Amino acid sequence: MPGRIVSFFRNLLRRNAVEQALDDELQSSVGLLTEERMQQGLSRSEARRQALIELGGVEQVRTKVREVRASRLLEDLAADLRFTLRRLSHSPGFTFTAVLTLAFGIGATLAIFSVVEGVLIRPLPFPQPDQLVILGNIPEGVPPDGSAPRVTAPAVGIYSRATDAFSAMGAYQQTGFELSGQGEPAAISAARLNATAFQALGVAPMLGRTFTPGEDDEGQQVAVISYRMWRERFADDANVLGRKILLDRKTYEIVGVMPRTFEFPLVPGQLNRSELWVPMSFTQGELVNQSGSWNYYLLGRLKPGVTAEQARQNMEPVGPEIVGRLPSVIQSMRIHARAVSLMDVTVAQSRPLVRVLFLAVVAVLAIACANLAGLLLVLVIRRRHETAVRMALGASTKRILGENLLESLTLSLAGGLGGLALAWAALRVGTRFLPETLPRISAISLDYAVVGFVLLLVVLTGLICGVLPAVAASRTCVNDHLKESGRTDTPAGSHARLRSVLVICELATALVLLTGAGLLLRSFEKLREVDLGFKTDHTMTAFFGLPGRQYSSQASVDVFDRMLLQQLRGLPGVEVVGVTTALPGGAADTTVFVPEGYIPPPGAGVNLAWDGRVFGDYFQAAGIPLLRGRSFRDSDTATAPLVVIVNRTLAEKYWPNQDPIGKRLYVGVVGSPMPWQTVVGEVGDIKQSGADQPTQPQFYQPASQFKPSIGKFAPPNMLYGNYGTVVLRGTLPPEQLAAGLRSIVHSIDPQLPLIHVATMDQLVKEGQGSRRFNTVIISSFATAAVLLAMLGIYSVIAFSAMQRTHEFAIRLALGATHANLLHLVLNSGVKLGLAGCAIGAIGAVFATRFLRAFLFEVDPLDPAALVLATTAILILVFVASFIPARRAASLEPMHSLRSE
Amino acid sequence: MSPQRTDLLRGTLDLLILKALNLEPLHGVGISRRITQITRGAFEVSFGSLFPSLHRMEEKGWVEAEWRASENNRRAKYYRLTSSGRAQLKTEEREWNQLVKIMTAAVESA
Repeated sequence: MPGRIVSFFRNLLRRNAVEQALDDELQSSVGLLTEERMQQGLSRSEARRQALIELGGVEQVRTKVREVRASRLLEDLAADLRFTLRRLSHSPGFTFTAVLTLAFGIGATLAIFSVVEGVLIRPLPFPQPDQLVILGNIPEGVPPDGSAPRVTAPAVGIYSRATDAFSAMGAYQQTGFELSGQGEPAAISAARLNATAFQALGVAPMLGRTFTPGEDDEGQQVAVISYRMWRERFADDANVLGRKILLDRKTYEIVGVMPRTFEFPLVPGQLNRSELWVPMSFTQGELVNQSGSWNYYLLGRLKPGVTAEQARQNMEPVGPEIVGRLPSVIQSMRIHARAVSLMDVTVAQSRPLVRVLFLAVVAVLAIACANLAGLLLVLVIRRRHETAVRMALGASTKRILGENLLESLTLSLAGGLGGLALAWAALRVGTRFLPETLPRISAISLDYAVVGFVLLLVVLTGLICGVLPAVAASRTCVNDHLKESGRTDTPAGSHARLRSVLVICELATALVLLTGAGLLLRSFEKLREVDLGFKTDHTMTAFFGLPGRQYSSQASVDVFDRMLLQQLRGLPGVEVVGVTTALPGGAADTTVFVPEGYIPPPGAGVNLAWDGRVFGDYFQAAGIPLLRGRSFRDSDTATAPLVVIVNRTLAEKYWPNQDPIGKRLYVGVVGSPMPWQTVVGEVGDIKQSGADQPTQPQFYQPASQFKPSIGKFAPPNMLYGNYGTVVLRGTLPPEQLAAGLRSIVHSIDPQLPLIHVATMDQLVKEGQGSRRFNTVIISSFATAAVLLAMLGIYSVIAFSAMQRTHEFAIRLALGATHANLLHLVLNSGVKLGLAGCAIGAIGAVFATRFLRAFLFEVDPLDPAALVLATTAILILVFVASFIPARRAASLEPMHSLRSE
Repeated sequence: MSPQRTDLLRGTLDLLILKALNLEPLHGVGISRRITQITRGAFEVSFGSLFPSLHRMEEKGWVEAEWRASENNRRAKYYRLTSSGRAQLKTEEREWNQLVKIMTAAVESA
């Protein structure tokens, strides 16, 4: 019935015009009736009087017409809303508490959830991200872990040629460049990638173009820059295309600018986003000499309908061909193809966290809802008398129910809006304090989906919280309440019980969250207690990489290294200086090796160890203790006998109960014609890749002996000591150490940038970023939950104490002491607290197992966490009940009794 | 016989209004008079029932209204049946006749 819909809007929008038309019609009818009467011979005034009588009163008719109008429902709603607002404004304290509770609950939930959503849940910024896979292979015997597989350089071409499961495929590798020729020289993160990788990603550039496969193959020096670099370094210059920049002092031409949302590679736990992309253009060295290095990621876009597993099977047959291109020393190994979805690699590790956080969100919101429902119940109890009177006067149950629902909806909407504002403010301030190592930190914002979800939630909250009290109100028994004639001392039995149950549930939920937070905090504490094996204080680190063009000969590299060490050692306040390629806190290189005299158990794969090359006094600088033998000396040169220092784990695993000094090992697999290296020292184990990661066998070589140690496979122009991390130990404050380091490097090579200058303490902290993040997030939830639950118990105790004022006054008058009253009220609070904790403890036993993945050396059933959380809740319950209890105890009996 | 101001059976009024308008467009007072006429003076519709019904029927699209001069050159709001109003009249007549038949049979059987 479109007519009715049209009139609905007409009535609403043009209410005055419609009213006017109705008036006109009624007036004209009066006129017609008067005329009729005058024709019968009556005087004008008498005729009009009778006309009005016949019409039955203009106003009455008008009201009746209005009632049938289509928009009546809405007009009624507006009137109800006005009534609700007026009623709420009469109890500002209640309204404020209710809105604040909800705003706090929703705000906290929303802010925390936005962070999680931005970091973990939001889909990858590429079209059809589920088609993107990371491909690679792993040697047989190496267990696959959750990380992205990698490939060797020759494998890239083989896979793209021999497979048909992919619509596009390209390799990429993260790298760093020294950028000059545009603004201040700087070290930037960048990525090398095949032209085909852009096709696989399916993102078009914002300006210009990406490079072509031809440019990639020919090694053309072209670059595609990020939106950020375009804005910051080129000031939005629309003519940026064709401009030249220097990367590692080589000229590159800018051919394109990527859109703002483009971010690739997405590295979990890393913030330094790539600022530009250059062609992969594999060098001859990479394809031949370093053909045994799994240094590249291979990105593929699956053809529609192809699964990752089918793709993997599609890749498997060329395994032998890839092995055939490995260095001959390791051609006896076998490899297996791997294909992992990009989404999994990027965010899968975070999935358990998302699950836990979702539960936490639900818990906090549930507590906020329980609080609101409790407060609304208070309102219902307070209004019992009013409701009874209105019902006696003929208000329908439906009407009372509707009003109560409208009230709770109004409150929850106000709370939701308040929550949005709080969350917005919290995110504005909060993102600055988030660990920089979070992936995709830029994606954190309040997005429309989240906001919409919350508004939906708010309406649901309003309905759910409103229904119970509304039903309670509409079931008001008119007769009973009117007979009580407004006395306030009747305990509202079932209502009070309902509120107690709500509070007990809140406390139980809060206890579960608090226990979870406690477990994470204890894990964190355990983690900090872990002996890292190296010293983190008074140590400054910085990475450098010498550009190959300026430092093409070993002699030039040696000059730089010697000057660097000498001048740093000469710096006042500097005690020890060393350089390493395996700085703790980062992923270490892993190599295969063969230890002398070790008979592997049957079925064992290759022997893997972290390897690192050092010069200067690295062990001393990093504070790694020498357990046996000697440290490296200046005399361990390229021509001297090859030496190696192993860690305790390697020594104990391969030469158990023996002195490792004098034992030998070589790099490669059994049968590789590689030179032996003699163990001259044993150092302590260190936590190379993170305090919560197990220590692997590890060996160190003098940087100068790297080339001879790989024997005849070393490329002729191979350099050593041309990159690494300087580790500086001194008595000066870290800033001064850093400043000294910078000025010395600048004096040796003014154009050389230092990368990631940080103290060892900072590095360790960064490594714990994600664990810290988890702990902070869960603790925030727990704090919100506890605060809300306290608010809940406070309002219950305060209200019931207030309701019992009359009773207390009588008790006092009959001889009870103030201490008795204090005891009475406190008792009711503590009872609720105990009940809540008992239920919560049971809940915690079941709920904390979800946290298992995040715990470190702490059992999910750790009694300390549970006991601490319970104690904390009970103390807070005591405090929350103490305030109203004291108020009740300080009651003046006569005053209170008279006021009745 | 003195005319009664009867609150008509719900639905009956609609039928009477539709019937009254079936001949020619009328204003509110005219409809009231026409109903009295066609019920041979048995019903005099109160305006308190007539106007709400008219407005409801207008919203439903059964009648249309327009302002024009009355026979005595007075501005009045005239209602006219629309085609859906005519269809509604047919439906209501049929239903009424059915009801009458059923009720008559029921009453006479006793």
